[in-house]
Amino acid sequence: MGKLRFYIALWAGKLCRPVLKLTRHKATTFPGELALRLCPSFLQYVHMPEQVIAVTGSNGKTSSVEMIAAMLAADGRQVVYNKEGSNQIEGVTALLLYNCSLTGRVRGDVLLLESDERYAKFTFRWFHPTHYVITNLYRDQLTRNGHQQWVYDAILPSIHPETTLILNGDDPLVASFAQGHDPEKVKWFGLEENPSSTKEHQGIYDDGARCPLCQGRMEYSCYHFAHIGHYRCTVCGYSRPAPDFAGTALDLEQGQLTINGQTQIHLAFRSIYNIYNILAAWSVCSLAGVSPQTMAQVLNNYMLKNGRIVRFTLGAHRGALLISKHENSVAYDTNLGYIQSLDEPCEVMIIVDAVSRRYFTGETSWLWDIDFDRLNAPHVRRIWLCGTYENDLALRFDYTQVSPDRLQFRQSIPQAVEELKASGDLPLYVMTCFSDRDKLLNLVQLEQGGD
Amino acid sequence: MELTILHLYPDIMNLYGEYANLAVLRRHLQALGASVTVRALHGDDRPSFEGADLIYMGAGMERMQKFVLERLSGQGDALRQAADRGAVILFTGSAMEILGRSVTDAAGREYPALGLGDYTTRETDQRNPGDVIAQTELLPTPVVGFMNKCSLTQGVKTPLFSRLLLGLGNESQLGPEGYVDGNIFATHITGPVLVKNPAFIDLVIRRLAGAKGWDLPEQLPVLPHEQDAYAVTLRELRARVK
Repeated sequence: MGKLRFYIALWAGKLCRPVLKLTRHKATTFPGELALRLCPSFLQYVHMPEQVIAVTGSNGKTSSVEMIAAMLAADGRQVVYNKEGSNQIEGVTALLLYNCSLTGRVRGDVLLLESDERYAKFTFRWFHPTHYVITNLYRDQLTRNGHQQWVYDAILPSIHPETTLILNGDDPLVASFAQGHDPEKVKWFGLEENPSSTKEHQGIYDDGARCPLCQGRMEYSCYHFAHIGHYRCTVCGYSRPAPDFAGTALDLEQGQLTINGQTQIHLAFRSIYNIYNILAAWSVCSLAGVSPQTMAQVLNNYMLKNGRIVRFTLGAHRGALLISKHENSVAYDTNLGYIQSLDEPCEVMIIVDAVSRRYFTGETSWLWDIDFDRLNAPHVRRIWLCGTYENDLALRFDYTQVSPDRLQFRQSIPQAVEELKASGDLPLYVMTCFSDRDKLLNLVQLEQGGD
Repeated sequence: MELTILHLYPDIMNLYGEYANLAVLRRHLQALGASVTVRALHGDDRPSFEGADLIYMGAGMERMQKFVLERLSGQGDALRQAADRGAVILFTGSAMEILGRSVTDAAGREYPALGLGDYTTRETDQRNPGDVIAQTELLPTPVVGFMNKCSLTQGVKTPLFSRLLLGLGNESQLGPEGYVDGNIFATHITGPVLVKNPAFIDLVIRRLAGAKGWDLPEQLPVLPHEQDAYAVTLRELRARVK
């Protein structure tokens, strides 16, 4: 009976797509929703390929998945993956509907899934990944996700005992997923100390201050960013594991990363984020049997297609939009650090108009978690604070060292754009979220082939 | 006027930019000519509330809150004595629960709390995040903010907010929220709540002044951006009230 329902759901779901196309509806997760309504255990009956790779975590999922797909493809594997990031159960079901035969066999060697950290447990109730990468857990959209220990508790039931976990060992909370898991089935990636590491914690708050196991005080021998680094609990001894896949040398200025002391990768993006995405992708592809040569070929100067930088022109300004997720201070801090590291004069614009594109909230406490003092640098000439929550931004800047005479307050984004168009020619760096991105991009001239 | 603010566990109970509550309060007090010291009590310190004119704690993750409950075990009387000698106490977010009699986690384990308020809290496996507009007779204007809790609090007889226009109260939608007893204030509202609500800052200042015998001007200082930020947030939230 179950199998019959499955076939009905499968064929109905498959039929949906041409119908949606014919009626000029965009391909959505609707066929997945329909199939699940007809057969709630749909995923249980899909004949999965030998390797099923899942990636979850607060940040870096989409970039890691993209690089994993590119490396597997370069190795000649046929990869089925959710490029559009439809990462909840309906999206995964729709993906499989589109990519399986009429009997429910997935047409591919590898199924690769970007998985929503809160909803993975619903998807993996029906099947489980052979390889499960967990990138990091930060404060991210607390209004929707809850805090990172809450997210940890949500991910935990999605982990099957047979799954090989590929964990970021430099994130103490992520590393604690290994507790109670077969040690043979845990692989670690991490970054060794390098010239861009610091001895002191950087940032407004320190989510690595306390041990995730016993809440004892933690000591770090080095930090890479936020609470990511080499830690040890002074009470229970919980500590950073030795990585199986290590960034053994890193020169961010020169853009060189060495993996396991052997393979050199030249970096197209010199952000510490990108390093962890590369290490995550490298680890899982290595375990999936891709050779270091093939991986290095793909990763060398790899330009992310889902690039979070959009280049544009505005009057005499050359602009770059650095996507910084609202409600995610680590994302903001990374981009602020990039602007801080520049050695030429520039202007900066920060837009907080709609906190989220998916839901309404007036929650702006996350602004106080962002280290805006990183803009207290002589080369940052003017800072434009824009959008509905311009006053909250202005108030936040009152509690930084940034000189008020560098600040421009414009609630109206078009007005700020007009004024910038009419004055100045310095490079302009804009930080905002997906929710507010187009409010700027619709008013400027986009450059072709943005990275 | 010299004032001492004691910030309890700023490295642990800090989910919603709570340090800003004290930074903004301090600037208001300085604008009145006060000299303000902010002292922190950290996780490994022996708890002591001595010499504090304001004792503050913010929101934390559930496991961190339990750690704090254990660290503060047996300190209820000491905190009560501080309140009796006139200290203003403000606990926001999940710290509110610490002022009650007990917190029971989702698995059913009960943790004794400080017992200054005669209420109990039970955690659930559901989070209820949402924006809040709250009314209290203590303030002429509503308080705005956000709440992200996974618990219900029962037994509060003297709520800080008599009703909500938006948001989840102690145990029901739009119901009474928080707890107040003299100079003891507790609310699940974050925001950070003082930063978002200049009128609430003024209330805290007046209570501090009352306890210290400090004569305040009728009009308290108005600092830049705060009123505008409040007005915009209230407008945006009101638009969501059906």
